[in-house]
Order: sequence, then C-alpha cells, then structure tokens
Amino acid sequence: MIPFGDILLYAGLVISVIALVGLLLKDLKNIEILNRLVTPAIIAGAGILTFSYLLLTYYFVNSNFAYDYVWQYSSADLPLVYKISGTWAGQPGTYLLWTWVVYLSAAWLAWTTKHTTALARRTQMITLLTGMYLIVLTLVQTPFKLIIERPEVIELIAKGTLTADFVPLDGNGLNGLLVNFWMIVHPPLMFIGYATMTIPFAAAIIYLLTKAEGWEELSRQWARFTWLFLGMGIAVGGVWAYLVLGWGGFWAWDPVETASFIPWLTLTGFMHAAALYRKNKTTFSIAAPILSVVSFILVLYAAIVVRSGLFNSVHAFGETSTGTLLIVFIVIVSLVSIVLVMRRYFEESDKVEEDRGFWNKTNIFYVTLLLFVVLAFISFWGISFPAFIQLTQGLKVGVASDTKNFFNIWSYPFTIILLLALGFCLNYKEKEKEQQKKILFIVIGLSIITMFLRTENFYVLDHNSPFWVREPPLYKMIGNISVISIFPSLIYATWSTIQRLMDYLRIESIRPKIKGIGIATVHFGVVLILLGAIISSNFTQSIEGASIPLASKGNIVPIGNDYGIKLIDFSTRSLAETTNVPAEGVRISEIFASPEKYVSDNVKISGKVAKVVNVQSPPPVTYTSYLQINDGADSIWAATQAEAPMDFQEGMELTVDGFLMANFRSNSTDTTYPLLLFSRPDQIREGISSGKYNVQSVSLEVYQNDKKIGSGIAEYLESQSGSGTFPLVDSSITGTDVYVIFQGLGSGSVPLSLKIIPAVNFAWAGIILFAIGIILIMAMRSKG
Amino acid sequence: MRTKKLVSIIVLVLIVLFAYFSYNTALSNFTLSDKTSSYLGGIKFHRAAAGLEEGFQIAQQENKPVLMYFWAIWCQYCARFQTDTLGNEQVKKILEEDYVLVSMDLDIDREVAQQYGVSYPPYLVFMDQKGNVLERVPGAVEASYLLPIVTKVRDDVRRK
Repeated sequence: MIPFGDILLYAGLVISVIALVGLLLKDLKNIEILNRLVTPAIIAGAGILTFSYLLLTYYFVNSNFAYDYVWQYSSADLPLVYKISGTWAGQPGTYLLWTWVVYLSAAWLAWTTKHTTALARRTQMITLLTGMYLIVLTLVQTPFKLIIERPEVIELIAKGTLTADFVPLDGNGLNGLLVNFWMIVHPPLMFIGYATMTIPFAAAIIYLLTKAEGWEELSRQWARFTWLFLGMGIAVGGVWAYLVLGWGGFWAWDPVETASFIPWLTLTGFMHAAALYRKNKTTFSIAAPILSVVSFILVLYAAIVVRSGLFNSVHAFGETSTGTLLIVFIVIVSLVSIVLVMRRYFEESDKVEEDRGFWNKTNIFYVTLLLFVVLAFISFWGISFPAFIQLTQGLKVGVASDTKNFFNIWSYPFTIILLLALGFCLNYKEKEKEQQKKILFIVIGLSIITMFLRTENFYVLDHNSPFWVREPPLYKMIGNISVISIFPSLIYATWSTIQRLMDYLRIESIRPKIKGIGIATVHFGVVLILLGAIISSNFTQSIEGASIPLASKGNIVPIGNDYGIKLIDFSTRSLAETTNVPAEGVRISEIFASPEKYVSDNVKISGKVAKVVNVQSPPPVTYTSYLQINDGADSIWAATQAEAPMDFQEGMELTVDGFLMANFRSNSTDTTYPLLLFSRPDQIREGISSGKYNVQSVSLEVYQNDKKIGSGIAEYLESQSGSGTFPLVDSSITGTDVYVIFQGLGSGSVPLSLKIIPAVNFAWAGIILFAIGIILIMAMRSKG
Repeated sequence: MRTKKLVSIIVLVLIVLFAYFSYNTALSNFTLSDKTSSYLGGIKFHRAAAGLEEGFQIAQQENKPVLMYFWAIWCQYCARFQTDTLGNEQVKKILEEDYVLVSMDLDIDREVAQQYGVSYPPYLVFMDQKGNVLERVPGAVEASYLLPIVTKVRDDVRRK
C-alpha cells in the first residue's frame, strides 16, 4: 500500500502537469482551455504540498514510529519543539521542505502576476518543472517510508521475529548536536533560500531564451529574499558551530558549509550586476543573467555536496540514491544554460560601445563582479578537486597542510581588492573622479606597504601552528603577509560607506533615502564581519585540558596564564518532554493509583527531593533519612538507613530503587506512612540519568589575575545518538567572549577548555546589519 | 567593451593558473592516502581492511604489535593529532620501528570501524598479532600521554 503522504506527492505531480499543459497551450497555440485552471491548480498544488508537510509534522508530534523517518530522527521523550524540528533533521524531510517552498513560491508568483505576461507564464513553467523534479526526488527518498520497509526489519519479519504490523515503541532519537535552538532555525533558513532561488533562475533562463523585458524586475525581490535567507542560514550555521563544539570556531571551511557559501557569493555578484543593469539595460546584459543562473546551479551543487557521498564532510549524509538524480539535474541545467548564454553572447558581441577608458563606474563594478566570481571559484575549487581526485584516481588529498590555510591564503588578497573596489564604487562621483582615484592609489599603496610589516604573529597563516612548516613555498609566501594590510582597505571602505550614507541622508524623498540607508547598512556589515573574523581568529587565546576537581567547589583553581576557574555548581538533568514524566522508573501517581500492583515489591522512581527528615536511632547508632520525592506530579516518601550521617539536600535529583511497604509506622518521626519506599544507600543515585537526553551542567566563574572576567553555565549533552557540548559563552561590551567548553564529567573532575575570543561579536553585529539593511532595501521596493 | 574583455581574459588566465597550481600542489605535497597506504603526519600506514590483514601477517613474522589509527579528512583534531602526537619525534620513532601501522578512513572503512566499536576520529586501537585488542586510545591525546602506552604495549608483546 502506498502511504498517504506519498499519494499527496503524486497528486501534487498530477496537478502540476495540468498547470504546465495549460501554460504551454496558452503560450504555443494561444489556446485558453486550461488557462483559467492554471492559477487555481498551482495554488492547489501548493496547498497539497503544505498539507503533506503538515502531515509529516503531525507524525513527528505524535511520535508515529511506523514511519522510518520519524523513527530515525525522533523519540517519544523529546520536547515538542525538537519533535517539530526533527522533520528537517534528515535528507528526506529537507527534500520535502525544499519542494514545499518551491511550490509556495510558484503560488505566490501565480497570485501576484496572474500570468498576464508571457514572461510570467514562462517563468512559471520553469519553476513548475523544477518543482516537479524535486517532487520526484522526494518520492525516491520519501520521508513517508514505513519502518516495515527497512531491509533489516523485512528480514526479521520473514524470520517471524517481528510481526508484519511492527511499530517500534520508541524512536532512535535526535542527534545530541542537533538538540539546540540554532539547529531548529538553520535548516529552514537554508532550504527556503535554496527554494526561492528558483524564481530568479527561471526568469533569467527565459530572458536568455527570449530576451524578454522585465525579467530583472520580476526576480528583484526574490533575489533579495534569497540573499537574506541563504545568508542568514549560513550565519546561523556559524553561530551553531560556535556554540556547539566540534568545529573549532564559527567557520571551518568544511565542504558543506563552504558549498552553501558559494551560491551566496555569486548571488551577491548578481545583485551588484542587477543594480547597474536596471539603470541601463545594455550594462551587464549578459553578466547579470549568467550570475543568476550560476547561483541556482551552485545551489544544486551544494545539495550534491551533501548528498553524493563524494565529499568528506562532518555533515555529509552519506551516499544516497538521489545523488545521481541531482547530478543529472545539474548537468541538464548547466548544458541548457551554456548553450543559451553562448547564443546570447554572439548575438550581442557585435554591438559597438564607446570605450571610456578603464576608470568608470561600470568597469569597477565589473571588477567587483569578477571578484565575487573569483572568490566563489576559490571556494568551489577547494572543495571540488579533492573529490575529483578521489573519484578519478582513488587518492585522498588535502588541499593544504591544514585545510583552512588553503582558503584563507587564496581568499585574502581578493578580499582586500574587493574592499578597495567597495571603497571606490560606493562613493563614486563622476565629477570628483580624479580626486577619488588619488585616494584609491594612496590606499592601495598603504595596503601593499603594510603587507610587509613584521609583527609577533599577525599573519595570514599562523606561524606557530605545526602546519605552517609543512606548507609549500608559495603558500608560505602569501601566509607571510601581515594582516595589518587589511586595515587600510577596511578603513577606506568604512569612510566611503559613511560618505555615501551622508549623501543618502541629504535626500529629501523618503523612499530612496531609506533604501540608501539600507545599502550603507549592508556595506557597513561587511566591514564589521571581516573585522570580527580576522581579529577573533588571530588573537584567540586558549588553554586546553584544564581539569577542575569537583572537591574544589567554591575555590579558584589556577589553570595557567594567570587564568583561574571557580566551580560554583555541578548538576545533571534530563531533557524530558514534560516535568511530570520521570526519566526513569514508574510515575508516582501510578503507584498511588494502583498500589496493589507495587506494594511488597521492588519499585524504581525518580524525582526531586522536596523534604528531608533526618533521625538518629538509639545505640547501636544508625541514621535514617526520610526523603519526600516529587516527580512533578506527585510525591512519595522514601527512607534509607546507614551507619554514618547522610547528606541529602532539598532540591537534589535522585533515582531511588527500593522495596515498597504499605502503612509503615515510624516511631522516630511519629508518622504512619501509607506508602514508603525502603532503599539502601547504594540504591539511591544522584541524577536522573537514564533518560535519552541527559544534560550535565556546570556553573562556573572565570578569573584573570583574581579578577572575575566571566561566568555562566557550560553543558554537556549525552544521548543515544551522539553527544554535544554547549559551551559557556560570556560576552562583554568590548566584544570579547569568554568561552569555556565542558566535555563531560570524568572521574570526579570537570574537564574544561578556556578560550578568550576577542572581537567575535563584531561579526555577529555585522550579520545583523546585513539583515536589517536588506530588509530596508526590500521594504522600499522601487517600481520599474 | 574592450577593457572588460581584457580584464575577463586576465582573470580567466589567473583562475586557470591557480586551479592548475593548487591541484598539483595537493597531489605532490598533500596526498594523504592512495590505494594501499596512507601518509598521515609523515608516517606511512597500511590501508583499509586489506591492509589490516597484511598487517597481521607482517606482525606475526616480525613479532610486532599492530596499531590501527582511525581518522577522517574533515576531522580538525586529527590533523593536529597527526602532526603533534603521532609526529612527535619519540613517538614516531617507536611507531615506525616497532609497530605495524594500519590506518582506517572513517569515510570509507566504516565496517571495520563498526567492528571495533569506533564511532569518531581520532581513535587508536592497539592489538597483538592475533588481533586481540590490548589498548584503546580515543580522542586527540598529547604525545606525553601516548608515549608510555606505545612503549608498554610494545614491551608486553615482545615479552610474550
């Protein structure tokens, strides 16, 4: 039987075919028969996809483990929000998300354009084709696959070990690294960005094909929207990498993160090209559509990087059946695009333009576009050729002695040139050109001179790193450039942005003014991000392998370099869905509901200590502690005896194993307990630890020369499917972060690593400016 | 138009040069593994399941312990572990002279990893010639921690 979710997807496919045929009939033969159906059909298609995504979410929320995908990425005790985010934790779900948003985009396009122009109709056709291809991909790797279709389950059913309607009691659980707020938002941002890229691509293809006017207007807001979502997706991925250890910082040039950065770069290039194209339709009339098409192709490429199994990344999903289908898709799209671009190029190349020399705005903008392409290519090449070598020669190669060195040395010089171009272009005025050229030359001169400055260790590559000595001569040469050389161009870019902002502020009419402020904001964001990235990666101090004994709680323990750490508290908790479900044992309410089932038997409960009564019995002296344990819904008394006083505190979380007695009379406390759990001290364990997601957390204070510089909580999460660390991050106004990683308790001491990371907050501020700026620009949409 | 063309051509040439140069640099300087061997931290390892079988044979002939090293190309800690710990002069000398070295790429040799219960890199498994596991060292430990283990396992195997 076909699962209901898949039926929905097939229905989406059928309805898209109807819409597509309607559009084609209208376009080719001007037959109106189906034309009136097109818009409703597309909106219905979007509705069906929406429904199927909600259905998947419903399965997750209800923990319906009959579905393989739900079983794989969820479990019953996960908090609701992680059950929902589980829908985009794996490949099948992200395909569905991607498809869904493409259909939403198609519906929006249908709704806003009503398909009144040929351009809108044709753009819609390409969008629908893309959407249909994605539905097929989703179906191949469907999230609605049943668990009984799993090979190992089929085997067990054949053997008779499992029944044919087998449903697991609990899920496999979400990977510990994904149990984090930033991981809830990262995938949707990325995939919304991937999906909305379809419209600018479709419009550009139609322009290349038919020379249709208005393609840039049509794709303008879509491109901005994509730029925002893709950019924020990448940024949030960085925040996540920074806050969850394993990647060492916010950017590690891992193939997958790099792959999503590449289309963002070319899209940025497109937006610059489009800015000039819309003023003069002959400028960048080929470069602009190429950049749009290339950005879409690179989005597909990013999907391949994650799914083909060829790229060795920390978050590759492994080899999958859809990898090949994606490669087919990208090959088709690329070939079509190349043919169309060539045709357009030869058509337009005979146009003669007057040559105004090198120094004009168009040319400098063109250099800017090329710089985006070059930067994109460096990243593309760096992740691609090792995969190519592996595929063709069976060799595994690294790109440099240390992977990030490759990307850093090659990108650095072009980043400086890009900043110089920014400084020159943003404030370009035809009348003051000569003056501005002079300033540019001075800045270029300063940049070159400062490259040779010698510093302690402020170079493109870290000279103290063990990898430094093993880099080849050319890499060392670039690695020897002093990073001070970034500052002249950074200051120049800042100055230029401020100048431009001043000009914008003088504008009377409100819309261009706000849009101008948006443009200045985005460019100021660039400066901040680069500043934050460079300072933080060069001046981070780190002390690794510090170990604080639990016994030294409350005292400052020196860990070297004048730093010290004071352990305030250590605690454990379980990440259960609600507080009244104990992570372990029986619910107390259940014991009270049917005591006959539990009395005179061994029972295990867990909860918080609500009350402690300590009593001493006469000689031979024994100490008894009566503990009231509360699991959030109900409470029960437990008692334990020892020959030495015991130290139970209110608020402790305990798991208690014991023997349940009814109507127990205690003379020492003068109470009759209707139910009392008798337990030996060794049957009482601190912490509620056998839940699926256990969090160890330490509360710390960090000192430098006995002065407190930071405090907070560092956590370590353990789960069946992997562990995660959530470091303490304490930011100060100066932009410096105190950053402590806790790697889980080991033999009575707390293993910690301390990092002092300066200026990283500038980068976050820059990213926020990016978002604010582009939203201002989008809000002040200019017509035509 | 002419200026643009000129700039485009220059950039294109530079891109091709860069691609060619970096490709060859990686091949000649940073080949981490080929079909039979891995070269990690300047040390040569036998590779994969076949390498492990061969390794046991050599170990029996020469009466040496086998060290299996699990790594991955994306593992940031592995790179540092290879240069600092395995590449440490004393450690490296003992490993190269007294051990049969086998490496497992976690992206490829997943089955071996599963068999030995290894789920993350870097990870070292010490074994005798018969394949009995003598010692496990998970994580990127420092040379000072690894050196005594390397010495002890070698001496234990020799004594037998």
